[in-house]
This record gives sequence, structure tokens and C-alpha cells, in this order.
Amino acid sequence: MLTARRRVVATAAVVLSGSLLLASCGGSDSGSSDGKTLKLWHYEGPDSAMGAAWNEAIKEFEAKHPGVKVKFEEKGFEQIQKTAPMVLNSSDAPDIMEYSKGNATAGLLSKQGLLTDLTPEVTKRGWDKKLSAGVQTISRYDANGIMGSGKWYGIPNYAEYTMVFYNKDLFKKYGIAEPKTFDDLTSAMDKFVAKGITPLANAGAEYMAQQYLYQLALSKADRSWVDKYELYKGKTDFHDAAWTYGATTFADWVKKGYISKTSSGTKSEDAGVSFIQGKNPILFSGSWWYGRFKTENKFDWGTFLWPGSNLTLGSGGNIWVVPRGSKNKDLAYDFIDITMSPKIQNLLGNKGGVPVAADPDAITDPQAKTLIADFNTLSQRDGLAFYPDWPVPGFYDTLISETQKLITGSEQPDAYLSALQKAYDQGVPKQ
Amino acid sequence: MTITAERGARAVGKRPHTGPRRPRSQTSYALFLLPGVLAFLAVIIVPFLMNTGISFTEWSGIGSPKWTGLDNYRQLLDDSEFWASFRHSLFMVVAMAVVPTMIGLVLAAALFDYIGKHFGSRTAAVLRACFYLPQVLPIAVAGIVWSWILAPDNGSLNALLKAVGLGSWQQDWLGDPDVALYSVMGVMVWVQIGFPLVVFMAGLQRVDPQLYEAAELDGAGWWRRFWHITLPQIRPEIYVVLTWCTVAALKVFGAVYVLTKGGPGGATDVPSYFSFTTFFEKTQAGYGAAISTVLTVIILLLAMVGLKLQTRAEDAEEGARA
Repeated sequence: MLTARRRVVATAAVVLSGSLLLASCGGSDSGSSDGKTLKLWHYEGPDSAMGAAWNEAIKEFEAKHPGVKVKFEEKGFEQIQKTAPMVLNSSDAPDIMEYSKGNATAGLLSKQGLLTDLTPEVTKRGWDKKLSAGVQTISRYDANGIMGSGKWYGIPNYAEYTMVFYNKDLFKKYGIAEPKTFDDLTSAMDKFVAKGITPLANAGAEYMAQQYLYQLALSKADRSWVDKYELYKGKTDFHDAAWTYGATTFADWVKKGYISKTSSGTKSEDAGVSFIQGKNPILFSGSWWYGRFKTENKFDWGTFLWPGSNLTLGSGGNIWVVPRGSKNKDLAYDFIDITMSPKIQNLLGNKGGVPVAADPDAITDPQAKTLIADFNTLSQRDGLAFYPDWPVPGFYDTLISETQKLITGSEQPDAYLSALQKAYDQGVPKQ
Repeated sequence: MTITAERGARAVGKRPHTGPRRPRSQTSYALFLLPGVLAFLAVIIVPFLMNTGISFTEWSGIGSPKWTGLDNYRQLLDDSEFWASFRHSLFMVVAMAVVPTMIGLVLAAALFDYIGKHFGSRTAAVLRACFYLPQVLPIAVAGIVWSWILAPDNGSLNALLKAVGLGSWQQDWLGDPDVALYSVMGVMVWVQIGFPLVVFMAGLQRVDPQLYEAAELDGAGWWRRFWHITLPQIRPEIYVVLTWCTVAALKVFGAVYVLTKGGPGGATDVPSYFSFTTFFEKTQAGYGAAISTVLTVIILLLAMVGLKLQTRAEDAEEGARA
């Protein structure tokens, strides 16, 4: 028989063990099923155009829903990206969440039934009328999780696209004309090289390098080429004329000194800072840099769409999704509706974002007007060609790793394209 | 001392079980093991078994896994990327176990035997703390700082080389596939040195000073004393450090993630990072699980071999004393 003291010790040990075991299995949030709380996750920085707009939307939502509190949690992009499937499969899922668009992300979740079908709400609230066809592509996913058709699983409230950012002061300083055509651009880059300046800011360790290369390929491509590659409407051949042009021209640009040979290990932040510091006069990247450059550039700068190409990288922005396990779906729909309202859309536009349903007359900032006008041009000519890493899960890493080899010269364009073909074919959904 | 306690425990383990049953007090004390055992089961064993189970499936991380038997392991055998990452692991063993152990030994002996005696134990303690500092620093912070130092255009290392007239030595330290692995190795040597140093200095505390005095009287110089006294005396610590650091090298992840993300072109990829990208980026959870299962088995085997070698050496030492 155990003594009383030992019995106490034994009981304490069992209780402690039990609680440890429970703790290790993960706690469960009681959730917010009382209709009084909207649990919202997003990953936009508070100073970004989207962050400011969503914060305003939260205030608006609370004003319109007395007694309802928005429980906002700011998450990191990587954090949501890596853990979303597990979180959405648990009782900890938020009521509404910002999530990446594309087959490998939202498509995958929708295929697994982790997202709510928003189609009835889209029709009821008229969201589909506000979004252009190009932007809608990333909202709809078919039964295989492939974007472009099927049910609505996400709503984007903003768009993004790539453009050429250039330092007008540096162009002036060296007497180089601002480029209007592709030949002007290459001629300007030659002149900068002759002055000992690397014209293009680049980052091989992150998305930037692969986006240069994809843009070069897009300049020789059309919509059906993009549909084959991104939507699997046909077979993608990485040795076709467009891809070959992209890879060989990119490698050639490295040789010519347009792109630094030492940029294979640099990150996008480094490239952005290099442009801000006036070390590189040109940077080709997305509208997500716009607000930052507006704040930090100490020189006169401008933007233009990539010359000589109808297509450029871009799409609707990240999307609002309503997890299957959301306990306050009606509140979530109301929140989306508010982010689509003219007030929030106009605010987004004036803060340097690209709104999808703003009133053009309400955008007062001249640079913002140009940004939105360029997007409208692109949208009207069906020019959004998405991003090169979308089609296959893990293709982002493959593109980075292979493009780095192209920059360092340790791989030739032909071998580069073969490596992409292999990774793409392995990951592309079997149909 | 830990060593003494381990020896004591082994001695108890070797004792023949002559008594009919254990005393009751031992049974009731076993209850104290319960929380630890259950936590170990919940945090280590169950996840490991689940991971092993997943490794026999084709699974995207959500939905239902499809049983594929040994397919992932067969694929692994032919996967040149995995074997390349494993080769890089061996380089990391050199950088994180072999080199720091060697440098740590010399530094520990110098601090203990020379600095401590001539400049006082406080100076030796301050220097020891300085060497240990990188171990305290989170690897994410250290990695970001090193990526600034090693940046090709405005990094301080290249700037320093240029300033001292060695401009031709400038490199794209983390961006050149021929150099990147050695750069990461260099950072890891810097990170690791403090650990062996501290362990070896603790080990040197228990060496009988009379041995050194006798050797000095016999005219033995510093190197002979290091070779014939220091090294044999702290052999158990050397085994512990080598085993510990080898395991750390095989599962290194943070530094690669922060510094190079396995690049450029896979030049610094290691199995743990390869498993991570396969699992989360490519959403090939089954294959990612197979990689980490193989890695776990390799680490376990190496740890067991290391412990066995250590035990054998200690037993031989005890035998020699007896």
C-alpha cells in the first residue's frame, strides 16, 4: 500500500503527465462562435497601402456591427504559407484570412475542401461585377484546384503588376534619354555599362531574377502560351522560342553587364535598397514596391510598362478566403463587402496600392493615378500573365536555384531550360 | 561531475541482480519518471512514428495519404539532389565538429595553461565568454549579420580586403557556387568554437595539477604537455564534443535557411533543409518525411557509435587504472 504522502506524489505525477501530454497535443481554441467576434488574419504591413486600407475596413466593420469585435492577428506571409493547411484543418482556423492565390496555394486548399465556396455570396453581393476577367482568374478554382474556372473560393481587393522603375536623375546626369521602346532600354543599359554602372538592380536569391527572365519570355509570348504554362491548357515546352529567348537573353545580359554577376546571392530587399540608394538606375519589379519608393526615394523617378510586350507579370492581389471551419461566415462576408466598398478602395488607391474597384475621380495623388492608369491599360489588353512560380508546388525554389546557376554561368541556357522542364513535368497535375 | 555520475550509473547497471526483487522505494520513485517518459513519448516517439508512417505514403500534407510502401525510399536512393545535400552535410561535420574541436582544444589549453597562469583566471574567463558569445546569439540574428558582412557589393569583408590591398581576394561569398559552401562553413566554425572550448576548459579543471608540475620538472615544453597530458586526460570530453557537434552538423538548418536558402543552385543544400522544402514548398509530405526519417536514423546510428566509442575508451581507461 502506498502511504498517504506517496499517494499525493503519485497523483501529482499523473496529473502533471496528463497535462504535459495534453499540452503537447496542442491546445484548442474555443473559437469565436458567439457571433460577437470576427477572427481575422492578414499579413500586410501596417504602413503598406493594403495594411492601411484593411485597418480602415476593420474600423468601418466595427462601426457597422455594434457589439461585434474584430480580433485581428497579424501573421507573417511565410507563417501563413507554411502552416495554412494544418491550421485550417484544426479548430484554430480564423473566420477570414488573407491567403496566396494560385494552384499550389488556394487551389490546393479548395481541392481539399478546406475553403468555403463563396459563389452564392459573390452573385448576391455583386462582387463579380466589380472584378475584371484577368483579376477573376485567381478567384475561381475547379475541382482539381486549378485556377481560372469553377467555384469562387477567394476575393482579391487589389491587384499587382510589374513595371520598370527608373531613376530619372541618373538618366539626366549621364545624358541618357528615357526609354520608350525595348531598343531604347537596351541602348540606355549599354550607356550605363560604359559609364561603369550596372543598370539593373537584381536579386538572384529571391524572386527578382526569375521575373526578369519570365518577362523576357513573355515579350515573345501570347495568351495561349500563358494559358498552357499556368492553366495547363496544352503542353508547355521550355525549349520553345519564348523560353529560349528569355533564358538566352538573360544570360547574355549578365555577360554584357546589365545584370551583376555577383547578384546571384542577393535578396530582393538588397536590390530594392540598391535602387533607393541610386546605385542601379533601373529596377523591374512589382507594384508592391511603389509605396516604399514613394516614401524613400530621394530622387526624381518614374515608371513604365515593360516596352515591347503586351504581357507582363501580374494578377489580382492576395485573396480573402473564408475557411470551411469559420464560425462567423456571415460576418466574414460583410467584412469582404466593406473592403470592396468605394471608400476603402479609394483609400487603397491613394496610399499607393492598385485597387480593383476604385472611383478614378477619387484618386487624387498624381503618381497613384499613373499607377492605376497603367494597370487599367494592362487589364484592358488582357495583359496579366501571372507569375512564373505558380504552376507547380515548389517551382519557386527550382526557379531560384536554376536562375542562380545562369547568373554565375555554371549552367548554360539549354541545360537551364531542361532542368525547368523536368521539375515542371514532375509537378504538373496529371490530367 | 556528469562523468562520475555516468560511470556510477554504469557500475550499477553492471552489477549482477542477486536480490530477489527491488526494494519498494525504487518502485515508488519510478513514478517520478512518468512525466518525463510521457512527455518523451508525446514529443519524440509519437511524432517520429507518425513521420515514419507518412514516409510510406504519397501525401500533399492535407487530405488522405495514399499508401505507397517503400516508393519514397527507392526514389531517395536515386535522388542526386538528396545525395548532394548529404555530401554537403559531411562538409558541415568538418566545419561544426572537426575544426571547432581542434581549435577548441588548442584555445582551451592556451587559456587554461598559459593565459590563466600569466594573466589571471579572470582574463581567461572573459576570453572564454567572448569565444562562447556566438553560441548564445540566435542563429537567425548571427546569420543576418553574416549575410551583411559577406554581401558582395557593400559587405564589410570585401570592403576590408580592398582596404588592405587584397582587392583581388574579393568574392561573392554567398552567391558563387564554388565559394558559398566554404563561406557557410566559415560562419559555422565561428558559431561552434565556444562550445568545445567551454567543455574542454571544464574538463581541464579536473586534471591533477601534479601531472603538469612533474612534466615541467622533467623539462617538457607546452606542446609536449598538451600532447601527453591534456589530450589523454580530457579524452571523454573530446568524445562528447565530437558526438554532440556531429549530430548538430547533420541536422543543421537555421544557418543555411538564413544565409543561402540552400543556394546558389543547391550548392549549400543540406538534408534538413531539403526535407523542409520538399515537405512544405513542394507539398510532397511523404517524400519529405522519408528524407527526415533517413536523416534521423543516420543521426541515431552516429550518436550510438559515438557513445559506444566513448564508453569503450572510458572502460579501457578504468582498466588501465585498476
